[in-house]
Amino acid sequence: MKLTKYYKVADNTFSVTAEADLYAEMDKYNIFAANVGDTVFDLELVNEAFDVQYVTEIKQDEEDQQIICGHLDNGDSVFEFGLYGRREGVLVSTPDYSGAKLYLDGDDTQYAIDNAMMVIYALATAKMSTLLFHAAVVEYCGKAYMFLGKSGTGKSTHARLWLRNFPEATLLNDDNPVVRIVDGKSIQVFGSPWSGKTPCYKNEVYPLGAIVALSQAKCNKINVLSGIMAYAAVRPAISGKRWDSKIADALHTSENFLAQHAKTYHLDCLPDNAAAILCNQTVVSN
Amino acid sequence: MRIKNGFVVREVCAQKVVLAEGTSNIDFGKLLTLNDTAEFLWNQAESQGDFTVESLTTALCGEYDVDSSTAAKDVKHIVDLWKQYGILE
Repeated sequence: MKLTKYYKVADNTFSVTAEADLYAEMDKYNIFAANVGDTVFDLELVNEAFDVQYVTEIKQDEEDQQIICGHLDNGDSVFEFGLYGRREGVLVSTPDYSGAKLYLDGDDTQYAIDNAMMVIYALATAKMSTLLFHAAVVEYCGKAYMFLGKSGTGKSTHARLWLRNFPEATLLNDDNPVVRIVDGKSIQVFGSPWSGKTPCYKNEVYPLGAIVALSQAKCNKINVLSGIMAYAAVRPAISGKRWDSKIADALHTSENFLAQHAKTYHLDCLPDNAAAILCNQTVVSN
Repeated sequence: MRIKNGFVVREVCAQKVVLAEGTSNIDFGKLLTLNDTAEFLWNQAESQGDFTVESLTTALCGEYDVDSSTAAKDVKHIVDLWKQYGILE
C-alpha cells in the first residue's frame, strides 16, 4: 500500500509517496516529519527500472559516486545516480522540479533516495532563498560556524577540533547543511537529513556566525574575505545545476547576499588544536 | 574566435564578474572581474560573435578616446588572457 508522508527541512515542506516498506530506508527523515501543507516538491519512490532513453547533458564522477544529468524529449529532467559504476536509481522531474519520481532498481536504496532527495531539494528550493551547502557545521554559543573546502581538505577534522577544544560546541551537520536567507535579512543555518558518512541529522536552526573556507597548509593563518573574494569562496560549496538559468539566477542572488552580509574567512590550517583555537578566537570574537 | 558557451556576466557586490555556468565549463573554478573597459570589450565580443583583435580594437577606439596602437595592445593583452583561461574558441 502506498503512503504519503510530509517532511520539513529548513522550513521547506515536501512530500514523499512510496510503498510502506520503503520508509524503512528513511528512518533518519523521521525527525523532519511535518504536517500536511503546501509543498515545494512532491517525490514518488517506485521499485521499478527506468528504461527510457534520455539526452545526457553532463556526467560527474567524484569518489566512486557518479551522477549523470540529462533530459527527456518532453523537457523533464533526468538524474541517474551511480555508485562504483553501478546504477542505483534514476530521478525524473518536471522542468520546474516541483514533481519528481525516483526509479529504484539498484542494491543501495538508501544511497539513491538520499542523493535524489538532495538534488530535488536543492533545485526546488533555490527560488526560496535556500542553499544546500557542502560543509561541516558546528553550533557554538547559539550560532552556526560553517567550514567549507573541497573533499579531503579536512572540514570534518576541523569541526572535530572545535568539539575537542570547546566543550560547549556541538556538531550540527557534517556534510550537507542548509542555509536560508529569511525575510531578505537574516542568515539561518539548518541541520538536514543528509550528513555524509557521519550520522548527524538534527532538526535545529541557528543564525550564521561565520563561514570559514579551509585550505591545508604548513602553518595556521586566517584572513577576512570580503566582496568578490567571499563570493568566490562560498559559491563552490553550493549544490546546483547552473546551466539551468533559473536555478543559476536564484543561487546567485542568495550567494551575492551572503558575500555582502555573512562574515567570511579563509583559514590556512594544520589539522591541530591550534588551528581550531586561532579560528575560534578570530571568528567568534569579531 | 568567439566566447565559448556557458560563460555569463553577473554583478557580484556591485562589480561585473564573468562566471562559468555551462555544462562544459563546470570545472572552470575561477571568476574574472571586469573593469568598465573590459566589460565593454566583453559585451562587444559577445555581440560580434566571431570577433578578432582588430574588430575589438575598432570598437574600443569608437567608444573611448584612445589611439589605435595603444588600444590594439590593450585588446591583445585581454584577449590573450581570455585565451589562456580557456574562455575562447
